[in-house]
Amino acid sequence: MLEGTKEMSQKYKISKLIRNNLSGWLVMLPAIILFTFFVWEPLLESIRLSFYSAQGMRTVEFVGFKNYIDVFHHPDFFPAVRNTCLYAIWSLIIGFFIPIIMAILINEMIYAKGLFRVGTYFPNVVPGLATVLMWGFILKPGKTGVLNIILGHFGMEPSIWLSDPKLTIPLIVLTMTWKGAGATALIYLAALQGINRELYEAAIIDGAGIWSRIVNITIPGLRKLIRTLLILQVISVFQILYEPLVMTNGGPNNASISIMQLVFKYAFEKFDYPKAAAVSVMISVSLVILTVVYNKINKSEDA
Amino acid sequence: MSLLDKKVNGIISQSDLKKPSVRILYYGMFLVCLLITIISIAPPIWVFLSSFKDIKEFTRETTLLPKKIDFGLLKKTWVDLGFYKYYLNSFYVVTGSVICAIIFNGLLAYAISIIKPKGSKAIYGMILGSLMIPATTSIVPLFMNLNKLHLTGTFYPLWFVIGANAFFVVLYKEFFDTLPKSVIEAARIDGCSDLQIFFKIVMPMSKPITMVIAMYAVNMAWSDFLLPYLLLNNTGLETVMVRLFQFRSSQATDVEVLRAIIFAIIPPIILFTAFQKQIIQGNSHSGVKE
Repeated sequence: MLEGTKEMSQKYKISKLIRNNLSGWLVMLPAIILFTFFVWEPLLESIRLSFYSAQGMRTVEFVGFKNYIDVFHHPDFFPAVRNTCLYAIWSLIIGFFIPIIMAILINEMIYAKGLFRVGTYFPNVVPGLATVLMWGFILKPGKTGVLNIILGHFGMEPSIWLSDPKLTIPLIVLTMTWKGAGATALIYLAALQGINRELYEAAIIDGAGIWSRIVNITIPGLRKLIRTLLILQVISVFQILYEPLVMTNGGPNNASISIMQLVFKYAFEKFDYPKAAAVSVMISVSLVILTVVYNKINKSEDA
Repeated sequence: MSLLDKKVNGIISQSDLKKPSVRILYYGMFLVCLLITIISIAPPIWVFLSSFKDIKEFTRETTLLPKKIDFGLLKKTWVDLGFYKYYLNSFYVVTGSVICAIIFNGLLAYAISIIKPKGSKAIYGMILGSLMIPATTSIVPLFMNLNKLHLTGTFYPLWFVIGANAFFVVLYKEFFDTLPKSVIEAARIDGCSDLQIFFKIVMPMSKPITMVIAMYAVNMAWSDFLLPYLLLNNTGLETVMVRLFQFRSSQATDVEVLRAIIFAIIPPIILFTAFQKQIIQGNSHSGVKE
């Protein structure tokens, strides 16, 4: 008798467990289907596709690393890899420090803080495509380009800007920075406000100057965030596509072609999908390795 | 001096500001902030003003400001390029995207945070993992799949793709984790089903985060062009951004492009002005975004 009820309650428990989980899974199911279709499956399919030959969209046969080797020998491959690294380096030189400096400056303001915050965030609401078209006009070569008109007032000769292979990548990075810096600065601002004010007060009593307060309190206070945003920025810059695509179409003479642009060219201009997938996989694998190494280094530093 | 009396926070203290050298530095910093703000705002204003120039004035003269302001020119380009159609298409895409972004990501986060069925932790792990892997790399197979399913030339993929956004799931999950458990338990005891709890209890309590996610979704759906371009180009369903992208290879005068840029940035600017506070707050709380 006693055993019976125990069994009953256990059965009840199990059925309740199933019911609870089932209903939970049913709630998750629609989004899981979407994630599978839009994110997870394409990722795996990308890897599979890169090892096959294809006719149009139909895969034909397994070809091993042939696509990778072909891509590697394409004359645009080396410039694309080199440029992507240059984009990353320039974006660290220009794009990475500006938001930190902006945040520190704005945080010090007594008046018009709100105006500065809203004003510098504003470019972030301008759609990316509109931003690059707009900067294309501003950087127009010749006497009627905006920047040339402005510099002309200071007696400077008109420059050809984006058509100068040495300036192309820094200028594209500058455009990206114009759009993104304010939004990133806001994230830093939030972190700055989280720094304990007593630390500054103690430092002042100890006679620390302004510079030493920045180095010893502000920067360490932002350290964790700086680390996270650094790797996120590198990941996003490695995928730079529409900026060079629209502003220079990779030119002049491949001076600004990016590796994602190579994917775009293979897939949507030559319709060679397996090679496009091979390039995609290369980007993903390098970024995953980069992230893992980066996190390892950070961890060993903390230890 | 009195102007600088109210300083309470930051690196430079009130006592520092008594020194003349620090005060000069401080005024310099103010000017830098002002300059950065001007650089941030000036380019769109210039585009706006230049869109009043005609093509001769734009290509020949070395002036920044137009000779006269004539809204007729803007209207003419609006009609010539048929922008009404692109606005309408973008409107459909944005509306569907916002609904999908809220419902699908919200439901998933709700199950992970509150119902917690067995295995949901693993799902959350996979979602966090997909945040790490660059999204653009799966565009090729995704496009092929959509093609095989004959979904090109429709808005559906653009709606549903935003329903699988790892960032939104994380935002929702973190917010749901802070909701009072007692209210949800009480509703469950009253016999509410999981879905009823979601729509009647959880969502009404989550308006702030839903607002933030809706803002992001609007901005993403309005600004996105790669997938819309691949799916909608030359189908008559082009969105505003697809139209802008077409300028790469179309015969349009510079001033027409400028005016199209204006059309493309006016809606987000209106939205930004109206919801400035929420957008800026939402951005500050979300270090994981970029």
